[in-house]
Formats: sequence, C-alpha cells, structure tokens
Amino acid sequence: MTCPHARELMAAYWQRELTVEDTAVLRRHLETCPECSAEMTALGGLWERLADLPAPEPSHTLDARWRQTIGILTSAQPARRIWWPRSPVWGVALAAACLVIGVIAGMNVPRQNPEIAKLREEISSTREMVALSLLEQQSATERLRGVSYSGRLDNMEPDVLTALTRAVAHDPSVNVRLAAIDALTKASGRPEVLQSLTQSLPAQESPMVQAAVIDYLVEARDHQAVTALRQLAAQPDLNPAVLDRARFAVSQLSR
Amino acid sequence: MINPVSASDHDRMRAVARGDLASMNAIYENRHRPLFRFFFRLTGRQAMAEDLVHEVFVRMIRYRHTYQIETASAGTFEAWMYRIARNALADSARRHRLETTAAEGELESIESTRPTPFDAAAKRQDLALLYRALRQLPEDKREVLVLARFQNLAYDEIGRILGCESGTVKGRVFRAMKELSAIYSDLSKEKTA
Repeated sequence: MTCPHARELMAAYWQRELTVEDTAVLRRHLETCPECSAEMTALGGLWERLADLPAPEPSHTLDARWRQTIGILTSAQPARRIWWPRSPVWGVALAAACLVIGVIAGMNVPRQNPEIAKLREEISSTREMVALSLLEQQSATERLRGVSYSGRLDNMEPDVLTALTRAVAHDPSVNVRLAAIDALTKASGRPEVLQSLTQSLPAQESPMVQAAVIDYLVEARDHQAVTALRQLAAQPDLNPAVLDRARFAVSQLSR
Repeated sequence: MINPVSASDHDRMRAVARGDLASMNAIYENRHRPLFRFFFRLTGRQAMAEDLVHEVFVRMIRYRHTYQIETASAGTFEAWMYRIARNALADSARRHRLETTAAEGELESIESTRPTPFDAAAKRQDLALLYRALRQLPEDKREVLVLARFQNLAYDEIGRILGCESGTVKGRVFRAMKELSAIYSDLSKEKTA
C-alpha cells in the first residue's frame, strides 16, 4: 500500500467509515511506516479533540423571522383546488345538481339586505387601502405585511395590482419582491401583470427573484415572454441555476 | 448512507414542491440548527450565520419546483440543501466583500470586544487555540472539515455536495487535518513563547 492511499484510509477510519478488512490493511501499513504511524497518532488525537468544541446556538430572532416569512408565504398561497369528478359525464351531472340546488335555495332565502352588501364593499375597500398604505412604508417588514394583506383580497383592483407589480420591479428587499410575486399568483391570467413582470426581468439582480418571475411566467403559460426569456438566457454573467430555468421556460413556452 | 431524518425531509420537501408550504416548518425544525452551525463555523459571525440560514429556507421554497429534478440526478435532500447553502454563502461572501471593505477594522474590533457565548466557552476549556486554528484554516479546507467533522456527513454525501469522488474528499480531509495541526502547533508555540 502507498502512503497516499493510507492517508485516505486514515480519514475514513476517523469518520468510522472503514471496513474491518481495510482497517487490517491500514494497521499493517502503519506497522511498517513510521511517518504514517506518527500522523495517525497526532492527527487522530486532534480529530477527537475537535468534538470538544462547543456547538454554537442560533438566537430566538431566527425562529421569529422564519415564522413571519412562512406565515406570509402560506397566507399568500392560492386556495387549494376543490374536488371535482374526472369523468366529464359526472362533472356535468354534478354541475346540474348544484345549479338546481342553488336555484331552489335562492328562491327560498330572503334577499340580502343592501346595507350589508354596502358594508361588505366598504370593508373590502378599507382592506385595499390598508394594503396599499402598507406597501408604501419605509420598513420592509411593513411592506411584507402589505403584500400579505393584498394576497388576502378577494378581488385585486388595478391599483393593488399596480402596487404589487411595482414592488416586484423596484422594491429594495428581495423578500418583498418574492412575496409580491407569490401574491400575484391570484392574478396570473391578467395580461398587464404578465407584461409588467416580463419587463422587470432584465433589471432583476437577485437570482431568486429572476427564478421566481420565470416560474410565474411558465405557470401562466405566457408565450409572449419567450423573447425576454431568450434575452435573459443570453446574459453572460447569469447565475447557472437561473440559466437552466430560463432555458427550461423557453422550451416550455415555445411549444 | 441515508439517515431517517433525511428520508422524511425528502418526503416533506416533495410535499412542499407540490404546493404544501406548511411542510417546510418541520424541515426548518430539523435543519435550522445544523445549518446555523455550518454557517457559524465558516463565517464566525452570529448575525451573518442567522441571515444565511433564513436565506437557505427562503431559497428552498423558491426553488421547490426543481427539487425532484435535481435530487433524481444528484442524490439526497441533504446534498440538495447543502448545495443551496454553499451557493447562499458564496453570494453573501461576494456582497460582503463589497460592503465591508471600508468597515473591516470596525467589524474586527466589535468581534474582539464582544465575545459570543461560544467564544467564552471555548476559552474556558482551553479550546480557544483549536478554535483559532480552525478559523485560520483556508476556506476550502475549513469547509470540507466542517462538513465531515461537525455536520457528521458521510464522505460520499460530501462528494455529492462538492461535486467530487468520496476518495477525493478523504484526501482533502487528511490535508485539512495536517494543515490544522500545523497551525495549531504554531499557535501553541506563540502562546508559550
């Protein structure tokens, strides 16, 4: 056995990955090679002492940040799909049954009080104002809250969509940009949103945001984004992971 | 070698990739401490290590769609997570070099006047020299040693993370230990002189 091979076996021995057979081979080499034997003793001892170094612990701030982030991301997620039969025949039958039940129920339920409808409209409008106001704040945390609020709105009005697409394009915080992209999932079919996100691509510096915008455009099946994606893929210093995503997106959207 | 936590986190990550973001909480619980220790031992800075841990989990969510494609070709959840961690560290190091060129002296003085609990414990047990030696090890050697000795990863797993054969990893670990020993020995002589 050569000394370089013995050194590999020593490293495996320290890590407790050496087989019984290889341990015997290593022992035989150490008996005949004083240099390797000395290294085994000195470095093996140091390897054991490394285990005595205390394990550092993260602060509670990390947990708090994580809870906030995952809270925002999960609340911005679109609702899960409801169950629906795969067979078209059963689908039509179920739809017809729902329609009949709805008509009968509608005829028997008293008409909604117009004041309640107005109140609902006002609450929705207030939520929208709160979301827009938060999106204008200096603090990134407040802007994240604004994005979260926006994601919860039943109907995204054009000014909310504008504020979110502006956040994707210009917000200094990567986390706000990412959360805004997730919140915009509700409006993925809107041409103005797709156009704005596509236009923001060349100026995005964060690979994470670039990847998120690409994924968004693929999920929305935005075929018009192919040119912009090809231009992005041609950038010389593009992150390799983003390059892969961009190429994948072009192949998907060019079909 | 695939441990049970890695196997279950693999299932959880597949659920995240399918859209169940809440499954990320269990992955966070299992992984945030080892990841923090990995970053802390490589950077020596508490705040930076915590920022990087947060960044890794955000990236895992961001790149969730690529999970199955990547793990099918290159191994386990563990390897995927540490590759994201290494990329996050490399990006941070680039930014940090740009941001801290002027303030490097200030950072050093803050570190020396405000020791972390980790520093204090290490000094109490006369392990400070070993800790200093580890900090002085070149980055690539420190990384392979941290992955093997502190993160308890098998050599074939480390090979998947670093993109090389497990035999190469063993050779690198040996050389890292040899250099660590030399630095430690020099520091011991300085102390006694």
